[in-house]
Amino acid sequence: MAATTRISIPEATGSDLASRSFLAHQPEALAAFNHLYGVLWSRGVVDQATKEVARLRNARVTGCGICRNLRFSGARQEGLTEERVELIRDGYEETDLPDRHKVVLRYTDAFLMAPGIPGEALRAELAAHFSPEQIVELTAAIGLFLGFSKIALALGNIPDGLPVMVVPTPAP
Amino acid sequence: MSWVAPRATFEEAFGLRPELYGAWRRFHDLFGQRRLVPPIILELCRLRVAQQLGCRGELARRTREALQEGLTEAKIAALSRFETSPQFDAAERACLRFASKWVFDVHEIRDDEAAALVAVLGEPGTVALAEALALFDGFCRFRLMLGIGEDGPDPASGRGV
Repeated sequence: MAATTRISIPEATGSDLASRSFLAHQPEALAAFNHLYGVLWSRGVVDQATKEVARLRNARVTGCGICRNLRFSGARQEGLTEERVELIRDGYEETDLPDRHKVVLRYTDAFLMAPGIPGEALRAELAAHFSPEQIVELTAAIGLFLGFSKIALALGNIPDGLPVMVVPTPAP
Repeated sequence: MSWVAPRATFEEAFGLRPELYGAWRRFHDLFGQRRLVPPIILELCRLRVAQQLGCRGELARRTREALQEGLTEAKIAALSRFETSPQFDAAERACLRFASKWVFDVHEIRDDEAAALVAVLGEPGTVALAEALALFDGFCRFRLMLGIGEDGPDPASGRGV
């Protein structure tokens, strides 16, 4: 993992974290990504707390320091407190997390560690909690979370020890 | 065949969330249309990611930009031997080395490997390739999780097989 950035950071062009990172080397792509991420978070059919559970699980499993310490305000407002976030760890099956979030954690782990059609039991659990449209959105969300964690890991990660930062939920 | 949307292609399955799919498509298509990464390198990296994940749907696709630039099936057939095959030059090897570690060993990318990539693509090109790899990896997995197989022709820029 890169302990410091491997790519220079251009002069700041925006106020959000991404615009003040090496991603600003590709402004058109950054704008398109920010729009995509905003649609995902603010115009979604899956509640923000559920997507945040998947995002934070990905952050823990992939070991992305910046992703692990970010919180989106909308998810917090929906009840995903720090106490709940602490439960998104290995051993989450034994915690008091709601069943809906445990199903998302199982699905996220499968996506990250052994991608393929989930087994019958997990498919049934997903269908009990989510519509097909929601499953598609959730799957796309995990794909984006993983991909952008890896960008941070490959090109310049922010080291451990950062404080938790609550930032506005992305919007298009 | 997708278990979420039986008989759906990638576009049809993702299209269950049309606004999200449209925004994803605009982001995804930039890399080829704007040539943010040389088309043959971009295509080889996409196929290398698909190869590592065993994603037949992506392996069966070719992008028009890469074919127009002269990418051959012989070269694609040698992809798993990119380190030693004479089909590949040093620049392509540097990019494929990076793409190969991306899928399962992203923590193992070394400083010298990242520097070699920057020497080939420059900093903007390296950022673009990383963003493209993020999409290739994430959405090969999307296909695999939802059980989406091979599609027809790519609606934006390629051909299906």
